[in-house]
Amino acid sequence: MKYVILIHSNPQPWGHPTSDYLDAHKALPADVRARLQGEFNQVMTELSANGELLGGEALGDPTAARLYRWRDGDPLVSDGPYSESKEHLAGFFLIDVDSQARAEQVAARFSGPDETVELRLLMWPGGDDQ
Amino acid sequence: MTDSDLADVWRREAPHVLAALLRKYGDLGDCEEALQDAAEAATTQWPHNGLPDNPRAWLITVAARRLIDQARSETSRVRRERLDAARNPQVFDGPLAYDRDDTLRLFFLCCHPALTRPSQVALSLRSVGGLSVEQISAAYLVPARTMTQRLTRARTVLRQAGARFDMPSDNDLPDRVSAVLDVCHLIFTEGYARTSGEQLQDIQLTTEAIRLVRQLHDALPEHAEVSGALALMLLTQARSAARTNAAGDLIPLADQDRTRWRHDRITEGVALLEKTLPRGHVGRFQLQAAIAAVHAESVTYEETDWLQISLLYDMLTRVAPSPAVTLNHAVAVAMAHSPEAALAMLKPLSDDPAMSRHHRLYAVRAHLLDLNGDHEAAQEQYRLAARLTSSGPEQRYLNSKLSS
Repeated sequence: MKYVILIHSNPQPWGHPTSDYLDAHKALPADVRARLQGEFNQVMTELSANGELLGGEALGDPTAARLYRWRDGDPLVSDGPYSESKEHLAGFFLIDVDSQARAEQVAARFSGPDETVELRLLMWPGGDDQ
Repeated sequence: MTDSDLADVWRREAPHVLAALLRKYGDLGDCEEALQDAAEAATTQWPHNGLPDNPRAWLITVAARRLIDQARSETSRVRRERLDAARNPQVFDGPLAYDRDDTLRLFFLCCHPALTRPSQVALSLRSVGGLSVEQISAAYLVPARTMTQRLTRARTVLRQAGARFDMPSDNDLPDRVSAVLDVCHLIFTEGYARTSGEQLQDIQLTTEAIRLVRQLHDALPEHAEVSGALALMLLTQARSAARTNAAGDLIPLADQDRTRWRHDRITEGVALLEKTLPRGHVGRFQLQAAIAAVHAESVTYEETDWLQISLLYDMLTRVAPSPAVTLNHAVAVAMAHSPEAALAMLKPLSDDPAMSRHHRLYAVRAHLLDLNGDHEAAQEQYRLAARLTSSGPEQRYLNSKLSS
């Protein structure tokens, strides 16, 4: 089963890894930060070694995005950010795992203060005829 | 000789060569690497020099030499010990003959209990099926890098588990065979549930799964569940051409043009079943095959013998109960008896946390409510099912059931 893990965040200034630019994360005691970092590295190593990681990318600053809206039959271009909300899509990881439980276990490890991690199932082009 | 000639010889010989190497040197990772080197040598030399008289012996000799060279150049003590057999500087002297037990040993190694199911699947397609990493990763729609990692990890796990190229004890044999069958069935369903059907990119997983189970069947002709699994796949694949429309959308069983079913496959599947069923122990694959046979032998959907299908699902519930079996059973009960009786069967499934997020529970309930004339309640269930499915074609089908 394939999933995408979406990281919604608002690092200031915009940068990656997002946790290095989030006040709430920087305020954590050093040992807690080290533990979180260690756990994250471990899950990434694990995903890669197991052949569960399909890929992933970090995204650029949302204010530098270009937006195309439809106006009077033509695209009208403006500057980002797209979303009015506090957090923006900052990056994503694609995984292929055995079960929903494993996907949830992995997604939980991407979580940190002042960020939202979203786990979404990928649609696939098949189905059952029963 | 053309590339496709070369590929044919390769696919036919690779598992045999691998078995010969494994018999002597044991480690799957090392043997696969040596085999890969031999393949590269064949690709450069055969088109020039022509096909050797005995391609298998040629490949084994080249691969064995690579293993010997590797052992000599290795400095790591552990690795040297592992390749101890290869240190003997002689050309390969193991048996070249390949017997049916080699197929089994290779299957058992690839489906070793220390491995995860996806690893067992990847390894079986690679080592028993002789497919390339690129073909396997294309079939599973994952990057080749990911598939390589899966295979590398699997070989490391085998090494750590001390897995050997040998036959399991009589005690373990039933479980090991059933693991191999599960893996083949998983490969089959992955291919069958794809709507792109015959045009599946590069290789067709259903054909591949049937090819693997045929090999298993040749090695274990008297094994009733192996025959059952082969019959099930033949009878199911027979419907392939009729199950999608020109746009690639799913056509449910009820609406399929049965003249487009492959009747040669049906005949073969039914014959296998008729030979197997009277022999006693009836397992889940034989029962599922028997159900598929009832559908296959029914000229129209309306003539389907639902009473018999319902009885077979009763037996299947006893042998291998699962929520999926209950759902299919309920559909048969609705047709054979009444939709109310079928709806009552679904009640316990709603309390199962895994099923409460599964689209098929709601899709089946919607269908049963429709049959019962409760169209309004059916709509809500179709909506839930459409929201939960991850299958594009199923979502389009379920959405089409919603009156806007």
